[in-house]
Amino acid sequence: MEYMALLIFFGVLMAVALLFVFINNLLGPKTPEAMEDYPYECGVPLYDRSAQATFHQGYYLLGLLLLLFDIEAAFLFPWTVVYRYLGVFGFIEMFLFIFILTYGLLYAWRKGALDWQFEEEYF
Amino acid sequence: MDSVLAWLIITVIKILVILGIVLGIGAYLTLVERKVAAHIQRRPGPMVVGWHGLLQPLADGLKLLTKEDLFPRYGNRFLYNLALVLALVPATLVFAVVPFGPEFETFGIKVKPILTDVNVGLLLVFAFGSMAVFAIALAGWASNSKYALIGSMRKAGIVVSYEVVITFAVMGPIILAGTLSTYEIVQKQIEQKLWYIWLQPIAFVVYMFAVLAEMGRVPFDIQEAEAELVTGFTVEYGGMKFGLFPLVEWYVEGLSLSAIAVVLFLGGWSPINIPFLGFIDPLFFLGPLSPFVWFALKVTLLFLFILWLHWTLPRYRIDQITSTAWKVMLPLTFVNLVLTAVIAPLIWR
Repeated sequence: MEYMALLIFFGVLMAVALLFVFINNLLGPKTPEAMEDYPYECGVPLYDRSAQATFHQGYYLLGLLLLLFDIEAAFLFPWTVVYRYLGVFGFIEMFLFIFILTYGLLYAWRKGALDWQFEEEYF
Repeated sequence: MDSVLAWLIITVIKILVILGIVLGIGAYLTLVERKVAAHIQRRPGPMVVGWHGLLQPLADGLKLLTKEDLFPRYGNRFLYNLALVLALVPATLVFAVVPFGPEFETFGIKVKPILTDVNVGLLLVFAFGSMAVFAIALAGWASNSKYALIGSMRKAGIVVSYEVVITFAVMGPIILAGTLSTYEIVQKQIEQKLWYIWLQPIAFVVYMFAVLAEMGRVPFDIQEAEAELVTGFTVEYGGMKFGLFPLVEWYVEGLSLSAIAVVLFLGGWSPINIPFLGFIDPLFFLGPLSPFVWFALKVTLLFLFILWLHWTLPRYRIDQITSTAWKVMLPLTFVNLVLTAVIAPLIWR
């Protein structure tokens, strides 16, 4: 029952979002011009059509780190709720878990996964 | 049957109220932001449309509605539109678990001013919050423009970094309350006579940093970077499609994250708190309306604080922002988590 309300709200929001997607097509003027849909750049013709090329590898590393740490956060969430009933055992278990987590973070740090300007700093 | 009908009517009314708050107040916050920005810089701001520019958001909306529907030539139309849906829907769904006040009774029916009081409320908040990154990444990728792609990658990197930080930061209040339901968390704070900010100052500061990052506000607005990237990942969007992104990113997310901050750290709808002693309510003359006013007041103040920062601080580089998240904020939240686990038994009693 509680989740039904969420589902109804989701449906309403999908309708609103689709309205936002199509409303300009319905209400806006249609005056096609040759270059109006040309990708926004500096005014000169594009050097290459696709922008979906390579980019800085720092972003990939951030994505990998997110996967690791977010999954571990998901493991900690249930613990936070029932911690009251676990007593000392729960505290020690959690302490070990966070210790390992911190060790992983220090490892990534040491390996330079968090430094984007490695070359400039060391050479 | 009758109770189902009553439930349905109440749910629809709640949804309409939330939509009104999100889209109506969200749109009017554009005016608030421009007025605050203007007065910080000692200029009047919008003054022409309506009394002191009060009708300006309507004029802006009308203008955005009557623009031609453009689509970048080399882009991917399906993903381009999907990004819009993914931006609006999860960000607004967060409001389903924001409690606006205590339970009250009208016409013999008990009503909780929260759409669904699910027992995993906060988990839902951060699950929906994580969806924002898909909208951003898709918007930049589907536009197939260099400015848009650079902007979206920067923003995605920032959101991804602070997503981890924010989930670890909120664990402190959850330990103290022992529940994930947003309504219950506020009730626990009232029972324990304690706003959690008094015990969780580190978590609060880290949370506010993460809010700024997720909203793309100064000092973390590198994905927008007006002078170099024009507006980042929204550059190829036009008309109402363009209008939707700032609305969601700045106002809807800003309101929802401020509301969650109020719920977690500032005692939700409770009045001013003296730790462990009780509450002082200078607004007692409002009677049963007072909790709602307190909640609105706290959210407004937090939101105005964020606006104020916008005109005070400089902008950081992308690698500085992400390395702050991983090297400073994340270890701080670990320390905070362990400290909270140590002191929590004293609070439960």
